[in-house]
This record gives sequence, C-alpha cells and structure tokens, in this order.
Amino acid sequence: MRRCVLFSLIALAVVSLVAAPMFAQAPVTAKPAPAAKAWTMPRTPDGKPDLQGVYSNATTVPVARPANLGAKEFYESEEEKAAIAAAAAAVAAGRAGRGGAARPAAAADPEGNGLAVHYDNGQFGLGGSSAKRVASLRTSIITGPEGRVPAMLPEAAKIIADRRAYQQAHQWDSAQNRPLAERCITWGFEGPPMMPVGYNSTLEIVQGQGYVAIVQEMIHDTRVIPTDGRPHGPAEIKRWMGDSVGHWEGDTLVVETVNYNPLVLIQGGPVSDAAKVIERFTRVDADTVQYQFTVDDPKTWVKPFSGEYNMVHIDGPVYEYACHEGNYGMANNLSGARATEKK
Amino acid sequence: MRNKLATVFAGAGMLLAVAPVRAHHAFAAEFNEKAPLKLQGVVTKWELVNPHSWIHLDVKGPDGKITSWMVEGGSPNSLFRNGFTKESLPEGTEIIVEGYQAKDGANRAVGANLTYAKDGKRLFMGGSAPGSNGDGK
Amino acid sequence: MGIQSAKMRGSWLLVGAAGAALLSLAVLPSPAQAPYKAPKTKDGKPNLNGIWQANNEANWDIRPHAAYAGPVYTLGAAYSTPAGLGVVEGGEIPYKPEAAAKQKENFTNRLKLDPEIKCYMGGVPRSTYMPYPFQIVQGTGHIMIAYEFAGAVRDINMGAPTKAPADSWMGWSNGHWEGESLVVDVTSLNDSTWFDRAGNWHSDALHVIERYTAIGPDALQYEATIDDPKVFTRQWKMSMPLYRRLEKNAQLLEYKCVEFAEEVLYGHLRKQPLQGKGDSK
Repeated sequence: MRRCVLFSLIALAVVSLVAAPMFAQAPVTAKPAPAAKAWTMPRTPDGKPDLQGVYSNATTVPVARPANLGAKEFYESEEEKAAIAAAAAAVAAGRAGRGGAARPAAAADPEGNGLAVHYDNGQFGLGGSSAKRVASLRTSIITGPEGRVPAMLPEAAKIIADRRAYQQAHQWDSAQNRPLAERCITWGFEGPPMMPVGYNSTLEIVQGQGYVAIVQEMIHDTRVIPTDGRPHGPAEIKRWMGDSVGHWEGDTLVVETVNYNPLVLIQGGPVSDAAKVIERFTRVDADTVQYQFTVDDPKTWVKPFSGEYNMVHIDGPVYEYACHEGNYGMANNLSGARATEKK
Repeated sequence: MRNKLATVFAGAGMLLAVAPVRAHHAFAAEFNEKAPLKLQGVVTKWELVNPHSWIHLDVKGPDGKITSWMVEGGSPNSLFRNGFTKESLPEGTEIIVEGYQAKDGANRAVGANLTYAKDGKRLFMGGSAPGSNGDGK
Repeated sequence: MGIQSAKMRGSWLLVGAAGAALLSLAVLPSPAQAPYKAPKTKDGKPNLNGIWQANNEANWDIRPHAAYAGPVYTLGAAYSTPAGLGVVEGGEIPYKPEAAAKQKENFTNRLKLDPEIKCYMGGVPRSTYMPYPFQIVQGTGHIMIAYEFAGAVRDINMGAPTKAPADSWMGWSNGHWEGESLVVDVTSLNDSTWFDRAGNWHSDALHVIERYTAIGPDALQYEATIDDPKVFTRQWKMSMPLYRRLEKNAQLLEYKCVEFAEEVLYGHLRKQPLQGKGDSK
C-alpha cells in the first residue's frame, strides 16, 4: 500500500516536471516538451518538418474537464483515471434508477442514450474501442485551470438562444432547418480547431511545395494551407472552415484562421467576424503529432481558450465519406415528420 | 515525455470525447420506437455509403409474396479499416434484422441488431467489448 | 552580260542562303521537337504542384457539338450550351447500341438526372474539367488533388498499389511516374457520375487511366483513357490542356453546394411549399 502511494507520488513528480510547459495558460508560445529519446525530425525534400501521414485523433479525453476534478489537468495514472470514470458511471446509473429519466431496457438501447431506434454502432466498428488512440492522462482537451470553455458574452448567448427558440418551432419544416451535420454541409468537428469525432476520427496531411494540405475524413473536408507568407483572402469571402494561412516557427507549423461563415459554431458558441483561431502542429516522435489550438473570439467568449491533444499515425487511408451523396436520411426524416403531422 | 506512448488503448468503459449521435441524426423522426420489427430475408444489395450504409433485402411473407426492404446501418468506413469489403455481405446471404420501422410507413427500417440466419452470429463486428458503445446485451 | 551575271550571282546567293537555312533547321532541334520538361521537385520528380483549370466546353458536352438550348428556357441564352470542338479523340464515343440509347434518354431527362445539379461529386474524369480550379499538392508518397466543386478530394497513392474495399464517388487512385508524366490508375468508381451535362455516362466497371504531363511552365496536357466494357465497344480517350491559374494569391475557394441543391432534392417534403418558386417537382 505504501509502495503504491510512493510510486504515485514519484509518478506525479515526474509527470509534473515533464509536463510543466503544458500547464501554461497561453500555449500559443509554449514549446512542446522535448522527446525523451534521441530522435531526428524527419524532413520533406524542401527541408521542412515532415508532418505527412494518416492520423487518428480519436481520444477518450473529454473536451471539457469533469466538474469534480477542479483544476486537475492530469490524472496521476491510468488506474486513477479508471477509478474516477467507474465512480462517475456508477453515479449516473444510480441516478437513472432513482427516478431519473426513464431509460429503455439495455437490450433495446445499445447506445445507452435513450435513442432506442438506432443501429448498433459496435456492429459497424463505430463504437470507439476499435479506434487507435494515443494514451493520454489529460483530464480534458481544453487546457488550463478551468478546463472548459469560458463564459459566453451576452450577445453571443442571445444568438444561440434565438436560434434554439426558432428551432423548437421549425426544426422539421424543411431540409434547410436541419442542423449542418444532418444536411451534410459540415460535421461540426472540422473546425478549425479540429476536434476528435465519435467515429472515423481520421485525417491525412500531405505537404507540397509551399502548402500543407489537411483532409479530415468527416466529411472529406480539405484545407490547403499556404505557407508562402501571403495574407488572408478578402474578408467578404466567409468560409465554413475559415480562411487559413500558415508559417513555420522553427519546427512548428503555425496556422491562423479567420473569416468563418457566421453559421459555424465552435464549442457551442457562434463564430463572429472577429474570431481568430491559431493551431500549432509539431511532430514529437515517429508516430505522433502534437496539436495545440487557441480560440480567440472577443465577440463571443469573455476570454480566449486553448486546447491540446496528440494525433497518432495509423495505416491509412482516409476513406471517402461522401455524406450528401448518400443522405437518404434527410428525405426519410422529412417524410417521417410529414407522416407524423398527418396523424 | 508522457504522450510518447502511442499505444492502442482499449478504452473499455471510458467516456468518449464525442458529441452524442443525435447531434447528427434525428432517428426519432425517421423510425418509430413503437413499431419494432423482425425481418428475415435475403440480401439483394449492400449499399456501402455514408452517412449510413443500407442493406437491401427481399423478405418472403407467409403468403409467399416477396417484399423489398431497406435497412439502415452504420458508416462502413470503420468496417473498411477492419478489413471488411463489399464482398463481406454477398447477395443471397440470409440475415435476420431486428429493428424499427420507418415512421412514414415505407418498407424501411433501422437495423438495431443484424444476425446471420444460418447461425445467429452477429454481422460484421458484432462482438463488441462489454461496456463500450454497441453491445447492449 | 555584267548585269545578267550579277542577277544570276544574286539568285544563286539567295538559293545558297535558303539552302543553308534549310540545312540548319534540319540539323538543329527546333523547339517543337524537344519536349518541355517541368522543373523538378527537391526529390527529383516533375513539379506539378499548383492550381490548374481546364478552359474548354467539356463539362457541357465532351463531344464535338454546335451550341444548343439549355434545359430551362427561362434561363435563356445564359444557360445554353456553347459550341465545343470536343475532347474525345476521334470525336465519337464508342457506345454499345443500347448504351447509346441510354445516353439519349439521359440527355432528355438531364434536368432530373444530372448529378451536378444535385451537388454530387463529379467523379473522374469530369472533376478535372469542370470549369473551376483544382489544386495538386505533391507530397512524398502521396499526391492530393483538391477540387472546388462539392469539395471533392482525391488521394493518389504513389507507393505500391492498393485495392479499394468498395466503390466511391472519386474512385481509388494508384499513381506512378513514367518519365515526365504522372500516370494515375483509377478504379472502383461508382456508377453515379456522368462525363458531362449531356448525359454521357458509364457503369461501375469504369476504369480510367490519367496522364498529367507538363507542356510548358504554366500548362499540362491531360489525357484520360476510358475503359468500360459494359458500356463501350472499345477503349477510348479524351485529352485537353490544363492551365495554371496565374492570379496573385490564386487559391481554391469553397464550393460546398449542398445548400443550392436542397430545394431540388427535398423541396417536395417541405412542411409548407415555398411561395413563388414555380414547379418544385
């Protein structure tokens, strides 16, 4: 028992020393921790760090830190992480039985989320356990003592509230009233910042002369990012994935994105015309690229927020996710809604 | 460095950093939880498309009449990553579908559970790890 | 006698000069005979990086054709089909008889059937010659081609060839270099794309071999060999130049066209029909 505690303390000390730079609230300028073993950064033929490859950015780390963890940015060990998760699950299960929302029997509710009328994700390998992930002891993707998005400014919160109110009354009126993901316009995780997706959380990086191209599988969204020092495009041209330009700072690719389509949401907040997102890509070993981001939208959030996770190399490829082309669901949903209204 | 451990992580029972599935698909509007069904039929076509794959099958009624159904399943991309191909569910395979019927009354269903008629085994990656999304039994 | 001799001498001089000129042309290689070679990337490959665009009428109709009316008369001349010399080598697409009949049917019903109207990805080779830019990003081991229309994208595997698990809209591309040409073998295309707006079509047996070859610092020659034994009596080929977009800060812009196709696809399922939009069928 004592050895266990001692080990945990040592592990915590080592972890704290190694991770010290990651606790900085402004990782835009923080340098990544150096690799523990001798390793040479691979380079493309024109001498830039080689970020190329197919990656999984699937993770078990939640975007926002569980409230009960406070300012704890890292678990001390896998064991501690498992114990805390099990306790939380037990509480949730208990809550359901004690007069919480009625839940269908587990057999008819494979997702355990009340959506009984759903195919079995696990049968299609979409259940999460089949995705390759980097082990991580982070308690949240969002970094810093709060580990969650900051408060929204009242004007931004009002935009969201107004949209929600409109949706209540009109959500089945037409295809155009459905969420962007259901319309197969954007999935909502492409960003930037790029966020892990529930399944098919895969992306590919290809570097050509003067450009870094990133394709995210969901939903075949491609950014071809110039690194030739050009300015952003015209502000009149709003884009679903914003307007990205990049440059190299040492061995880190720094990408700045502005001019988002006003219907885009980042972590539930509307993206204003003042929004600026910074991403930093750094290869840290043969299999891993560290991804850091900062969202700075002074018209939406009371302060900027940042996040970090690692992506791990997988044997590709990125498979085509032609969403709109196969979107029977849109017609089926609307047809179902019309049929229900007739009753 | 902590994150140099690029190991496969089983993740059983762990929370996933995901938005709920309902964020992208309103199953509640498409299929009727009050209309559960069980179909047994022969595969005529397997549409390996996104956002959902569709299995087309011919179901013979007690009167011998054949009705064509289409059954919604998950994105095939992860199946591809696990070595499945379009040859993995050939035409003529007899399967059993447990699911729910379309709200508009069409011969369309969501397949909550898919098994082979010959041995009752689940299609594709049916044997999910207990506690992860997928195995409700 | 003297003047006559001078003239004669002059004529002989002219003949001599002409002869010398002809001789020099024959001996030295003319620019037309030495093929252009693109500068090489740092890893020794022809540098095809850039933003390119076809500049022809192929997306309207790949066959040689005079101008003809569009399918929506209220759009008048603006959306009629301009004349085109065609991009099909030999001019004629070698359809099997029943396939030729289907093409005519496609043409008649193109307003309902053309996948471009529905914002479906253009497939290969149509995506190459849709009138919008595309970008070649030449990496090591992979070449990515990003297209504007419907945000289509292809990854060309430059390593050992691999096989597709299933069909897709943009197909499965395995590439290699043959001298100065990038050769891409495209298989596993689905049957749902067209070659153009005129209903020229193919089956899921379509197999395309593309060749991209620089013919100048700002132009490529593009060739696509078409093989589809279910539809055509033989292989055939289309070819055309592709031109570099030379504007300062040329870039691909988004053309996620789903929003423009939703009324066509789902308008009939609206809760309330749209006012003043005419026949939504």
